[in-house]
Amino acid sequence: MVWSKVSQVTDPDPSAPPTPRVVDLAAVVEPDEPEPAGPAPDDPSLTPAQREEAAKRAEQDRRDRRLVRRLKEGDERAFQELVQTYQNRIFGLMLRMISNRQEAEDLAQEVFIIVHRAIGTYRGEGRFYTWLYRIASNTCKNRIKYLKSRNFHRSVEIEDSPQAQLPAADGGAIVTFQSQVPGPEATVEGKRMEVIVQRELAALDPEHRLLIVLRDVQGLSYQDIIRITGLQEGTLKSRLHRARVALKERLAPFMR
Amino acid sequence: MRSNLVTCLALPLALPRTPYPPMSAMAEESPTEADALMSAYLDEQLAPEEAAKVEKLLAESPEARAELSGLQNMLKLVKGLPEVVAPPDFYEKVARKIRRRRLFSMEILWMLILPFQVLSVVLILVVAALYMLLHLDNDPSVKLEKDPTVQVPPAEVPPVASASTPPRP
Repeated sequence: MVWSKVSQVTDPDPSAPPTPRVVDLAAVVEPDEPEPAGPAPDDPSLTPAQREEAAKRAEQDRRDRRLVRRLKEGDERAFQELVQTYQNRIFGLMLRMISNRQEAEDLAQEVFIIVHRAIGTYRGEGRFYTWLYRIASNTCKNRIKYLKSRNFHRSVEIEDSPQAQLPAADGGAIVTFQSQVPGPEATVEGKRMEVIVQRELAALDPEHRLLIVLRDVQGLSYQDIIRITGLQEGTLKSRLHRARVALKERLAPFMR
Repeated sequence: MRSNLVTCLALPLALPRTPYPPMSAMAEESPTEADALMSAYLDEQLAPEEAAKVEKLLAESPEARAELSGLQNMLKLVKGLPEVVAPPDFYEKVARKIRRRRLFSMEILWMLILPFQVLSVVLILVVAALYMLLHLDNDPSVKLEKDPTVQVPPAEVPPVASASTPPRP
């Protein structure tokens, strides 16, 4: 298997537990042990920002549970709400992993179709979105493996995307990547850097790429990534560091 | 893939945990621990005392500081990638695909069972027809009554039948 070969080559850590290789519907069934709860919003050891984040997350979890229950009862409106809640994140994950807009859209749609079909196997013990991300990352890995076996290569198409824009946190003005680079040639330079970063990201080993996308692009917590990938904490952190070093070395010529 | 930073961090951090480790074991384990520590440091996930320890080590190594700075710059670039937005008709496409697959699977099922249904109906009809034909031939009680007004040609009248006919008064 290409995936396991890649993993063997890039991961010399012998103590690391094997990551799931076979991806089918069984892989999307929830694990038996319930997912550990995140920090409580009223935990006094948290900073105000962390407390706010925890409260937001708890609210999101409650909302997801309600929607999943309704979906299990056959309410298609609940499915629509779930899709609309997570479509940007799943599509973003796919786009950063595959670097092809059409392919990413198809894959993201496939993920939600699997969710619709397999929702009966979701027992509601873990967070819905880690389950969703697990399906997405498995689907993505399978696709990359398939494309690799067919020697498929497509160029990075990010520069053409009209949607490659960053909505401001307050929902106000749209901020694009280029505006983060100061100077009169911000637009051109920003676009160029975005394409370079995406291209070098796409050149990384898929497991490294997944960790960087989950942690650094999408900002997921370590605990969530552990739930999604099945890695142990130490393994995750060391692999993430190696992935970052690899990307830094690839980007070094462009950062000077 | 060992960076200067990791090499710098590996030895002092590994020593307290494994007082007399064999050299080969240290070579295998220390970088991993240091890698993990660096990840946590970059993500500000270390406890204050651990972070202070890393900072002390960084202060002693300009190479490690340079590498850390490179990683931070790289992270700034990656974190600055724009969020992507799914197409506005994303849900409609998903719903359409689900409907199409559902219909397709029903259609396939229907296409698969249709020939068997037709065959079984034809078979039942054939068996019923054969049974009726055989039954009619063998059972005298169900023979059709003959029309008495129809003249039967004399040659065909059986002699036994005419002899047994009683004379009319």
